[in-house]
Amino acid sequence: MKKYIVLGLLAVLGYYLMNVFLLIDFGMPHFAQGVKDVYLSSSENVLQVSNVVTAIVVNFRGFDTLGEVTVLFLSATAMSGILYKKRHDIGDRSILFPASSIIRAGSKMLFPTITLLGVYVFVHGHLSPGGGFQGGTIIATGFLLMLLTYQNYSVSHNRLVWVESIAGILFVVIGLAGYFMKGSFLENVLPVGQLNDLFSGGVIGIIYVLVGFKVAAELIGIIYTMLHEKG
Amino acid sequence: MSIMEIIGSILVIIGSIFLFLGALGIYRMPDLYNRLQAGTKATTLGAMSVILGVGFLEPDWFLKLLILVVFIGYSNPLSSHAMARAMYKRRVFPWTKEGGVDAYREVIEKETEKKES
Repeated sequence: MKKYIVLGLLAVLGYYLMNVFLLIDFGMPHFAQGVKDVYLSSSENVLQVSNVVTAIVVNFRGFDTLGEVTVLFLSATAMSGILYKKRHDIGDRSILFPASSIIRAGSKMLFPTITLLGVYVFVHGHLSPGGGFQGGTIIATGFLLMLLTYQNYSVSHNRLVWVESIAGILFVVIGLAGYFMKGSFLENVLPVGQLNDLFSGGVIGIIYVLVGFKVAAELIGIIYTMLHEKG
Repeated sequence: MSIMEIIGSILVIIGSIFLFLGALGIYRMPDLYNRLQAGTKATTLGAMSVILGVGFLEPDWFLKLLILVVFIGYSNPLSSHAMARAMYKRRVFPWTKEGGVDAYREVIEKETEKKES
């Protein structure tokens, strides 16, 4: 009996989905024209952002980005839930042999450079290719290098949680500020500035900095839990 | 053509030749270590001189490109060193002719014998 109910519900759902898709003229020339022109002209004229992809990701579809950050947060939480070990187990990482002194000295030089590159990528997210996700990932690779090189290198888990939470809360606060001051979630509330300046695009730059911190903290947490998992 | 452009073009050509030789070496060399050497030493010099050549062609970018060259100069040898050392420690030994000498191999084999016994 259950089977037939499920099949009936699926059939109804499928019927409506099919109707929806039949209404959209995929592949017709007029299909994407309206959206494309609005995005291109308003990212350049209204928001003063030179990187259109960033304008779409953070401003026009900023809610979607908030969802993506949440998905990343949930997966990080689930991973630490699965790999969680009691506190006194943490500290002995399974390694084959310690890193050589060349690597030790070199990664000390590389780590600031990598972090600087990551910060550059997410601060300039609205001007050049890149953005919060990419910059955060680059910073996390720097921490991965340090964790692989130094056996005793440790990251304070509390600090990661604080960075991540504050970044996430500020993202939502900026979104709500747009909602209360301009009428829609993540609407721009700051002065937009000049095209191609560092301080342009209103809230986009700030949101990308927050996303960068959040992604970096999440990925460092994932790497840290994975390295401390006992095989 | 100014003197800067000539210098830049020559540097780019030298760099491309080295990059090509590096690629050829990866294809042609007999074992991992020789390939690693071809793939990192040759490409370090190749990438450096291509970047410097671009710096001569576009003098506005010279400082940024110089930083890039320094970065390649210390990150590329580091990574190749790490890879080669890791492979040696995992007992992947270089290719030698009959009766070839490989002192480090003996050290590592002694180490593993100690661990096993």
